[in-house]
Amino acid sequence: MIKVSGVTKRYPARLAVDDISFEVSRGEILGFLGPNGAGKTTTMRMLTGYLPMSSGTIEVAGYDVATQPQEVRRRIGYLPENCPLYPEMRVDEYLRFRADLKGVKGSARKAKINEVKEQCGLTEVGRRIIGQLSKGYRQRVGLADSLVHDPELLILDEPTVGLDPYQIRQVRELIKQLSEKHTILLCTHILPEVEAICERILIINEGKIVAADTEANLHRKLHACAVIEMEVKAGQEEVRAKIDAVEGMDIRNCSELDQGWIWVEIEADSSEMRVELFNLAVTEGWPLRELSEQEHSLEDTFVQITRNTGGAQ
Amino acid sequence: MRTFLSLFKKEVQTCFLSPIAFVVLFFFWVLSGLNFWWLLVQLADGEPLTRATQQIFGGLIGFSLLVIVPLITMRLFAEERKLGTLESLLTTPLTSLELVLAKFAGSLVFYAVLWLPVVAYTVIQQNLSPVEAMQFPDFGALRAGFLGVMLVGGLYISIGLLMSSLTSNQIVAAISGFALLAVLFFSMMFLAYTSPDPLLRAAGQYFSSYAHLLDFSRGIVNGWSVVLYLSTTAWVLFASVRVVESKRT
Repeated sequence: MIKVSGVTKRYPARLAVDDISFEVSRGEILGFLGPNGAGKTTTMRMLTGYLPMSSGTIEVAGYDVATQPQEVRRRIGYLPENCPLYPEMRVDEYLRFRADLKGVKGSARKAKINEVKEQCGLTEVGRRIIGQLSKGYRQRVGLADSLVHDPELLILDEPTVGLDPYQIRQVRELIKQLSEKHTILLCTHILPEVEAICERILIINEGKIVAADTEANLHRKLHACAVIEMEVKAGQEEVRAKIDAVEGMDIRNCSELDQGWIWVEIEADSSEMRVELFNLAVTEGWPLRELSEQEHSLEDTFVQITRNTGGAQ
Repeated sequence: MRTFLSLFKKEVQTCFLSPIAFVVLFFFWVLSGLNFWWLLVQLADGEPLTRATQQIFGGLIGFSLLVIVPLITMRLFAEERKLGTLESLLTTPLTSLELVLAKFAGSLVFYAVLWLPVVAYTVIQQNLSPVEAMQFPDFGALRAGFLGVMLVGGLYISIGLLMSSLTSNQIVAAISGFALLAVLFFSMMFLAYTSPDPLLRAAGQYFSSYAHLLDFSRGIVNGWSVVLYLSTTAWVLFASVRVVESKRT
């Protein structure tokens, strides 16, 4: 669906996107992550043909963005950052206007507008003026607009920014539903969103793609070792000495809890070493009330990847 | 064509929805009313009608276009840039040319509405004036006058539109549009009317919109000036298309 090869965007003062390549296949939901200023929005804008690239090629649905921009735009539904709308227009009026621009004709237009209004929960507010709608509703108007010409590819640039938790959940549900029919490129720096929705993740930092894989694979690659947490009732010194003596285990952190309990964080070669820790506690006669492997959140992975690559430069 | 029409409709709507539009309408209509009153006073003083007709199109109202037009055009692209809607427009299948033409045509319609009371005044004068001498001998001069204000207005609008396409700040667009128009208008007017050198004076006559407005209102439709206005307007609009295509940050 999307084929980006060797794309670079150079501004007079800086390199915004540096030789990136990736592919998105039909029907996929790809999460496009990166810290602020990493080049996410620039990449989205090049994909939609809004910004020309300095070098490289982008193909969308088999059409070249540089040479056949009209064909590409017909197939893309794009929700730009901050969801720009005309505040003086009514919702229906705006959707009709946008449908016209995108070549949705005649009777199909009316049906399609009603359909996207229903999908996005806008049936009640059709007569309202956009400038008087809440942020959540405006975001939905933007989303409805991006869907109105039934695009093959949806590009959403931070669709949930500024929404309350309830609205965020609604928009996420909607995006999930949409993924049944459309290919989606979701650009965000809100990680739980990506965890909840996306099949594959692309991380960009300082204009370069630094990781591209499924979430599980990213974790596996990054965290070769496991982090194990344990709570036992014993002297701190004794626990430190015993655990450090075991091959392939290091104490990362250790602190006193109440009533003689201590909490230990251990870096181990594999999560299976939990068994050895259990056996150790039994032989030493330490009462044990907690033994678990720390789950890696996408946040850890993200921070680690972007920090590593940032530090390298 | 469909895209153009729906863009055009939206432009006209937005034009009339903005508060600026009503301020502009108010002042322009007050001015044109005063102008008409002044015309009647002159006629009552025995001034011949042909000379007095120039009052309708020239005079104060000719000068006011320098301020009025940039106020109409300032929001065209500057507002789209500010709101970010330029991005959502240019990522639909429409072309920059359609967008520029629709905005130009929308403003031209608003500009034409500005002149409607003046049309009404001429009709009133024709039908209600008590003496024959105050009636227009024929409508040719009037028609030429209206053609003139539309040609001059078209050029001014295109210049205002170009200035608006260069910035995201409406005030900057208005002031730079006014400055550019004023420089063109006054430099050519001074050349045409005050230069001692006959060659320079002739050159000024060729390019001064003030001189053209007066010519048109006398019923002189000069092929040269029609071509000048149409081609310059087209050229400035083309420049705006290029700006919209290239300036996208």
